[in-house]
Amino acid sequence: MLHKKNDEYINSVQNYANSFQKNNFRKVACNDFKGWPDPLEETWRLSRLGALTRKKIEPITPDLKKHISLEPILKDSICISFVDGAYREDLSSKLPDGISLTHLNEEECLSFLSKIKSTNLSNHPSTNSSLSCTPSIIKISIHNNFNLDKLLEIVYLGGIENKSVHPVLFLELNKSSSLSIIERFNHLGSLIMPLQLIEIGELASLKSIKIFNDSIKSYNLSAHSVTLSNKSTYSSFSLIKGGEFTRSETHASLKGENAELNLNGVYISGSKQHHDLTTAIYHDVANCTSRQIVRGVLGGESTGVFQGKVRVAPDAQKTDGQQMSKAILISDKASANAKPELEIYADDVVCAHGATVGELDDEQLFYLNSRGISMDKAREILIKAFLEDIVIQSVDQPLHDFIFNEANTGLSLIIERNEKV
Amino acid sequence: MSLLEIQKAHLKLDNKEILKGISLAVNAGEVHAIMGPNGSGKSTMSYMLAGRDGYELESGDVLLDGKSLLDMSPDERARSGLFLAFQYPVELPGVGGMSFLREAVNSRRKYLGEKEYDHLAFVKEARKEASKMFVKDEMLKRSVNVGFSGGEKKRFEILQMAMLKPTVSILDETDSGLDIDALKIVSEGVNAQRSDSNAIIVITHYQRLLDYIVPDFVHILSDGVIIKSGGPELALEVEKNGYVGMINAA
Repeated sequence: MLHKKNDEYINSVQNYANSFQKNNFRKVACNDFKGWPDPLEETWRLSRLGALTRKKIEPITPDLKKHISLEPILKDSICISFVDGAYREDLSSKLPDGISLTHLNEEECLSFLSKIKSTNLSNHPSTNSSLSCTPSIIKISIHNNFNLDKLLEIVYLGGIENKSVHPVLFLELNKSSSLSIIERFNHLGSLIMPLQLIEIGELASLKSIKIFNDSIKSYNLSAHSVTLSNKSTYSSFSLIKGGEFTRSETHASLKGENAELNLNGVYISGSKQHHDLTTAIYHDVANCTSRQIVRGVLGGESTGVFQGKVRVAPDAQKTDGQQMSKAILISDKASANAKPELEIYADDVVCAHGATVGELDDEQLFYLNSRGISMDKAREILIKAFLEDIVIQSVDQPLHDFIFNEANTGLSLIIERNEKV
Repeated sequence: MSLLEIQKAHLKLDNKEILKGISLAVNAGEVHAIMGPNGSGKSTMSYMLAGRDGYELESGDVLLDGKSLLDMSPDERARSGLFLAFQYPVELPGVGGMSFLREAVNSRRKYLGEKEYDHLAFVKEARKEASKMFVKDEMLKRSVNVGFSGGEKKRFEILQMAMLKPTVSILDETDSGLDIDALKIVSEGVNAQRSDSNAIIVITHYQRLLDYIVPDFVHILSDGVIIKSGGPELALEVEKNGYVGMINAA
């Protein structure tokens, strides 16, 4: 991988890693951290980190006394808090018996590192810098046959300007377990580099929602790697609305037959925001299904990127993969890029993809206007309608209102900003 | 004073003159039918009145209640009391029928200085009006016009008309695509709204609709001008002899 050198940040990452006593895994990782991906790298061509390379940033030293929290969405949720990238037991709920949370020990960290290194995230900037600088790697494990009937809420808070934040999470769902999780990223003006490894065991089921809502000066470069075993399911919905630059990159590998994957996402972008949803789905074995719907609404001078790769291995016969992305531009200065990519090496598969970028439909606007509804209101109605079905499809009932509300506050910001342009 | 007055309206589309000096005065309490062959300018006239982008007049004027419409946006025209029932009602996926109706009705009420409906009061009112148009509750929960049959779409248009209580309504080929039963329901819905304080313009190819919505005046539109005006008997003449003879005589 080509890199844009940033010696200052590389040095600060190395110094930080070396400040730990026992630091085998950090040493390995920091030696592999070579700076920021060069714009010549194909997957970073549309999301350039030029402005980031010019910033003077160093890894944060978590303030373990910082007392900040977010109100849980549902009253009876199990809550876990990360502040400045560090897990905070004092700000988290007591976990039920079927879930364990541990700090990985040195040996486990090394094996975690080698797992990550065997994925396609091995060169992601968040992989090596977060493994070098994370306060600790947190493992959440859902025991065999355990079904959490409550929502697990994880919040990522904290951050300071010109500091990088490094939460690293290993989420493991053991055989026949199930979990519904919502994660919210709400950092202040900094560089956030979350790294996650998710392993979903046989017959297990994970429903996941991620809301990226960091402050308007933040950079968030999230990297997630997910593996699915036999008959497991992973349904994920991401809402990106915050940050100056937010890129959520997910690599999902279907490694067991009859696994099902839904990887949906929405981005709502305004002013000069840059939002990027990059996904790669690897159908490694036969008889798996993947579904992906992505919607974007862009106002102001924002840019949106969707890169969706689907790779079907030679043995992955009877794969069923569908992907559809749509973006709506509500300002002349906004732009959206969609890059679907199908690599199919098996012959008995059903794979389809479609990508559109457009504006609101004139006929529909006129119809609403002709009923006395103002142009602003008509646009708002159509934009909300554009997002409504994907939210209903992707999110379970108790969270509908919350997600609609999150989307609508995002929309109201970009619609207002749009009028001022 | 007329409720609606079209004064020597000229309009070009793609540099081709479509309306060539139409004048028409419609008074309160009247129903006017505009008939004419394909391409005579009927739908262009309705889009022009509703204020669709690209359908601006070259010259002439249109007055609604004595006020020129020309500088008003489509939504201002609608709030001022103009209603167009679309020949092809537009599908709005993801926009629920009930919330669409409420948004429209409240926009109009706000303009009129009337109190906006709250959710419950509106649902009650909408259900009452909907049942008159044989529009089921279930239809109001669906996305506007999505998956509606031809008849359902037209009934939903007339339901909107009933709830918006416009002063001037233009029904653009509301009979197209309707079977005889649907035609009766729609016509009864329209007739129920005839009053001394509003006016209706019915645009149609066929006399059949005018058996149910009986007009006070009939105008024959051909090649962008009104070539003949008269009473309901004019529609029967069209039905009997077709447009050709009438156009040749003009």
